[in-house]
Amino acid sequence: MLDDSGDFLSILKERGQLPSPQVASGFDTERVGPPGAQTEGTTILALRYRDGVLVAGDRRATAGNVVVYDRAAKVLSVDDRSVLALSGSPANAYEIARLLEISFQHYRRTQLQELSLDGRLRMLSRLLKDNLPMALQGIGAVVPIYITHEVSGPQAGGHIYFYDVLGANFETVDFCTTGSGSPIIRGALYFLNRWERPFAERDESDALRLVLQMLETAAEFDTATGGFKSTAAIYPQVMRVTGDGITDIPEADLATHYSSLQVGS
Amino acid sequence: MLDEPYRWVDAIRNRRDYLEDQLEGASPVVGVAYAAGVLLLTSTPGPRKLFEVYNQVASAGVGHPADIEKLRKAIIDIAHVEAFNLSASDVSLQRLVAFGLGPLMKAAFDEIFRSPFIARMVVAELDPSDPLETFYTIDADGSFSSSAAAAAIAGTADSAEAILARLGKDDDRQVSLEEALSRALDAWAAGRIQAEREDAEEELEADRPITDEDVVAAIGGALDAGRIEAAVLDRTLPTKTKFRLLTEADLEGALAQFR
Repeated sequence: MLDDSGDFLSILKERGQLPSPQVASGFDTERVGPPGAQTEGTTILALRYRDGVLVAGDRRATAGNVVVYDRAAKVLSVDDRSVLALSGSPANAYEIARLLEISFQHYRRTQLQELSLDGRLRMLSRLLKDNLPMALQGIGAVVPIYITHEVSGPQAGGHIYFYDVLGANFETVDFCTTGSGSPIIRGALYFLNRWERPFAERDESDALRLVLQMLETAAEFDTATGGFKSTAAIYPQVMRVTGDGITDIPEADLATHYSSLQVGS
Repeated sequence: MLDEPYRWVDAIRNRRDYLEDQLEGASPVVGVAYAAGVLLLTSTPGPRKLFEVYNQVASAGVGHPADIEKLRKAIIDIAHVEAFNLSASDVSLQRLVAFGLGPLMKAAFDEIFRSPFIARMVVAELDPSDPLETFYTIDADGSFSSSAAAAAIAGTADSAEAILARLGKDDDRQVSLEEALSRALDAWAAGRIQAEREDAEEELEADRPITDEDVVAAIGGALDAGRIEAAVLDRTLPTKTKFRLLTEADLEGALAQFR
């Protein structure tokens, strides 16, 4: 009998193609500390502005003190209306994003309807829960932000959800930031949203300038966050998630905004 | 008794007859390539018959709805497991059919103590690596064949042949969607008329040329009984998935004259 639930994860598990990670025997939790204590070297930022949500991430990948890569993509679209912004172990983070994308597609195509927002949030929780042994061993923690723009129904509009390493999810109203650089900018974001001008009232250009300023600030004080590098023309990754779908902000636009801010020049 | 060879052959022959009986009333599905991609068209009393399989792959079936569902689900599962284990660009129609649907239908057909899939399938891929493999048709016994510019499945072989004959040798894939819709609709009607003549055992009628009046009557009848359904794999779509079900507004231009 074929499985008709539309659950792609179950299909992979039944076929033995999604082995559940285990905690290695003799593993010493004292050595790496509790889950989530490991560094998630990056800065990810999502904020709701007038037309939707802007999601941004720096491009640096690190291993300890070493910069491994300066063009890492940490903001990935998982379908036509939602993106996953990733901090944590790249191998597991990319695998989770990939599984999520294919699971959503598989559900839509087999069941002839979109998976509900609650269903999508739950699926990501399951993947993070399945990843717990890797997080416990200090080699595979993943702490994502899930951003979506629902086009209809009672949940229509932009939403930002952040997860903890165990898979619990929480919705934020105005903005969300994770990764090692996030504590540096979190207070500034709160201040600007509360006492300068609410992000929800800002247009895209204004919101984009703010995002670039925040990433630059995080990069200034966090070695695991890469800033704008003018010599190599490496820009942060920024996506807009609106009712019209998901689009990358082109590097030319980022360059224009950087010029107007006189940052990095 | 079935271990005797002639009994087994007899049983297989019976299955073929049974399948032909079960399938003969089916409404055909027509596939044609056009400038922006691939078009699939059929009629239905209500439920959907044209489906997305993967980003650039679509399927349709004629036969028992439950069997079509099983086959649709099976090919979607195979495509997505393939995409997960390898990559999206490794999901190809040729492999889905040769190693997936074909063997699955053949195995069911050969197991004479179990029901075969009462279905014929057509599967299309947008821009396959080999242009000759744009369409695959798979019969209920698991045999399959590919084609470049057009394909048809129907309740009977003669009905499918009538569709392909109506489309003719015209291999012009640069036509607009509107033109492709008109051609597909006209060919679908030819297949439907052929099937009805066979069903009525109008042997004298069978060879009579199909007139414009026959086509108008066939399409008008389909609209009275249900609706015309069409879908495209459109390479100009900005999304990863290139599948799009055409809306009533998309079809109105082609159907208005038949209402």
